Amino acid sequence: MSPSDTAAPFRRRRLTAARLVPLSMILIVGLLVLAPLLRILLATLTPPGLEAWTAILASPMSPNLWWRPLMNTLILGLGVSAGCLLLGGFTAWLVVMTDVPGRRILGVMHTLPFMIPSFAAALAWGTLFRNSRMGGSSGFFEANGFIVPDWLAWGIVPVLIVLIAHYYSLAFTIIAAALSSVGADLVEAAQMTGARRPRIFFGIVLPVVTPALVSAASLTLAGAVANFAAPALLGLPVRMQTLSTRLFGMIEIGQAERGFVLALLLIAVSGVFLFLSDRLVSGRRAFVTVTGKGGRTRRFPLGRWRWPLFAAGFGLAVVTTVVPVVVLVASSLAPQAGALFSNWTLHFWIGEGGGQIAQGTAGIFRNPVLIAALFNTLKLGVVVALISMLLGLALAHTITRNKGTVLANILSQLAFLPLLIPSIAFAAAYIALFGAPLGPLPSLYGTFTLLVIAAAAHNLPYAVQAGRSVLGQIATDLEESARLTGAGPLRRMWAIIFPLAIRGLLAGAILVFVKMVRDLSLVVLLFSATSPVLSMVAYRYAAEGFMQFANAITVLILVICLAASLIAQALQTRVQKWKE
Amino acid sequence: MFKTLKAALLAAACVPAMAAAQDLDTMSAAELYEQAKVEKTVTVFSLSSRIARVEKAFEEAYPGVDLVGVDLSSAKQIARVVAEQQAGVHAVDVLYIADAPVVLRDLLAPGRIQTYVPPRLADQLDAQFKSPLLVHRLSTKVLMYNEQAHPDGSPITNLWQLTLPEWSGRVMMVDPTQRGELLDLLTEIALHPDEMAAAYKAQFGSDIAVDSDLNGAGEQFIRNLFLNDLVLVANSDDLNKAVGTKDAKNPPVAFGTYSDRRDNEEEGWALQVANNVEPANGILFPAVLAVADKAPSPAAARLVIDFMFGDDSPDGGPAFAPFNVPGDYATRKTIADDPDSVPLEQLKAWTINTEAVAEHRARIADLIITLQ
Repeated sequence: MSPSDTAAPFRRRRLTAARLVPLSMILIVGLLVLAPLLRILLATLTPPGLEAWTAILASPMSPNLWWRPLMNTLILGLGVSAGCLLLGGFTAWLVVMTDVPGRRILGVMHTLPFMIPSFAAALAWGTLFRNSRMGGSSGFFEANGFIVPDWLAWGIVPVLIVLIAHYYSLAFTIIAAALSSVGADLVEAAQMTGARRPRIFFGIVLPVVTPALVSAASLTLAGAVANFAAPALLGLPVRMQTLSTRLFGMIEIGQAERGFVLALLLIAVSGVFLFLSDRLVSGRRAFVTVTGKGGRTRRFPLGRWRWPLFAAGFGLAVVTTVVPVVVLVASSLAPQAGALFSNWTLHFWIGEGGGQIAQGTAGIFRNPVLIAALFNTLKLGVVVALISMLLGLALAHTITRNKGTVLANILSQLAFLPLLIPSIAFAAAYIALFGAPLGPLPSLYGTFTLLVIAAAAHNLPYAVQAGRSVLGQIATDLEESARLTGAGPLRRMWAIIFPLAIRGLLAGAILVFVKMVRDLSLVVLLFSATSPVLSMVAYRYAAEGFMQFANAITVLILVICLAASLIAQALQTRVQKWKE
Repeated sequence: MFKTLKAALLAAACVPAMAAAQDLDTMSAAELYEQAKVEKTVTVFSLSSRIARVEKAFEEAYPGVDLVGVDLSSAKQIARVVAEQQAGVHAVDVLYIADAPVVLRDLLAPGRIQTYVPPRLADQLDAQFKSPLLVHRLSTKVLMYNEQAHPDGSPITNLWQLTLPEWSGRVMMVDPTQRGELLDLLTEIALHPDEMAAAYKAQFGSDIAVDSDLNGAGEQFIRNLFLNDLVLVANSDDLNKAVGTKDAKNPPVAFGTYSDRRDNEEEGWALQVANNVEPANGILFPAVLAVADKAPSPAAARLVIDFMFGDDSPDGGPAFAPFNVPGDYATRKTIADDPDSVPLEQLKAWTINTEAVAEHRARIADLIITLQ
């Protein structure tokens, strides 16, 4: 692709200048994303690596190492992303576009499931549905005389349900951000010309939010195929393996090459789907809805459907949020994991050490490192969220403004990969890259900076997708007029793009923040400071078998995430004053 | 070109360093402490979060030396040390690590770590615990059952009983393709074909017929166990709950950790080890202490290892206290086993042969993958 061949000289110059930004973006992303990937690829081209390719693709082990896990992974990926679009789309529409009662509370509740670690949802499922296959400890339903068949207790069905319950809120967050920018003027214009509601929905709302739908579908797909906790907890008892459980297992038992080959294959498979979804967006007509005018959101009256739909939205939130949260909170209060609702004690939170409970371990708020860990966690979450959003915004802007070019395609594909690179490989690559002094840079080994760089790169997909889904809707005319009045790119970014895109950006920042605050593997591999982060403290407790303390910290992390998202909402209303 | 030059320079620099390291290896703790005070800090990667308690005890015993303990699983320690050393970073001093077969292959063989045996302990450890790796203590993966459901003792007295129809779907283990210790367990079983064949004969009265694609009775046992609907789980929590829950009807048995029995009272479990099992009830596997190559604080590193083996008292004193857990076993002969646990010499578990397991582990992993 070289349009400059046919362009007039002055145009060529302009194009080169315009290309400078995407090129520098490619350079940054290449360094941050491509380098770790190349490292993995190279590791699989050594003799043991080549053996691993054969073992996985062409050996008697292939069905169990590759084909069956692949099939399970595809079912999960496609099923989860379809389910998330339906549930996330429905709830986003309900909260943003209608006059359903209790919209604010619904809006908060539907962002919660993503903040609850997926293992909590899997645990909640187990608490309710576990059957006799798991020996002596039966679940709630079986204890009450119901017979729970294996397919409902273990395997693909419960994993699908748990993952949809976890990731639909990711779809909700992204779609809601896009829906809120469907201007009232469009809807009112359609109503004035007599369009019916279904026509308004399919003719206006749906096309406008398509980029957001595609973003949400891609992120939930990638999340589902990379998720480890749910398939491991609920799939293994019936020997269901996915590519991610296989990948984790191979690295864990010291066959890293096989793990890397599986990671590359996982990236390739997901890449195909992401490429197709990208095509879907680039092929369609462009809709710009965020213009200098209007900006109010028009709400549909639901009439007699108000309460039934409220019940549906609220019921969903209860099942996906309240149940796992209750299980988590209860398991931080119950002395015996087997009896969640008896003998509650606050010992695991505030108890003094030295007694009989938990081998004399004091409650988490008496742990001297907790405050330091809390502070570290917040610092890490905020810094990483800010940096990846800045980077993500720049990338998303470059991608949308160069839509259809090869450069934009490469960038958008690259920006997606980090979600699928196993963090153990990611971290190893970063130690290799930045462990030794790199040019003028000093060695970043073990520093907070290295952790931030790696984490920002690792979370880039959330930032880029969130940015893209909003930026795609912002009309270029605003930027053009600013350019004509002489505003530079930074100024245009700050004064125009930023306020208009704030909702989507904050949505993305929250996603990154949440991911970061919960993440463990990247942190333990890259950071060697003595004062840990919260997830490391939780890991310490869990490693000692003190699950109650670990769960208490998970609840604490949840509270932090919730507070962050409330602050973000408040911030957004302050910036977008014109919406009031 | 520049790289070779650098390598040559490094090699040259290493010669005196190596001589110094040999000196360090023979120094007493008091002499090491003098040098450690100059080094000031020592970084320890630990598979156990109990390193926090070691840290406290160490800094009390040796003021002026700051111990930095980092919790990392064995797989992560290996990944991190390999990546760091490839990048030319030498930041960690001591590794406290399991997964000995992988440690042997990925760390010891390429020279990324070295084995240091504190001089005062040389004659208090069996030869197998000093070489190739220094073993600090032994943990278990052994057959566990519910003692409340089986008050007369273990329902299993021969491993082959686990392949009978009545135990179909009632034997559990953490997925051996997800956890190294369980893979080591099955590999060790495969490495005892004669004992497994004799046990087969004792159970069924006839000689075992081994499938033509398998090597020996041990591998046949693995295949039969999987075909008998072995239930795999993600972590030992699930396992202990399944086996140990009190008042359970017909609870399963599982290959688990003996020392988890210490949580019985608190969790409402009735976990007990099945010791009287032919030909063995499982494995004992080592937790290893090693000095990292080019450790920034070589003297302090050795001091920590010396310290972690405890004092001469029967319980090893405050330094060993964090690891003195019933169901785990100290390798140091002066430290007595817990009175309420089966003594080490009476525990019918195989102590894994790290080198042999390392050699055959990948093959057994392949076998297991085809069986899943």
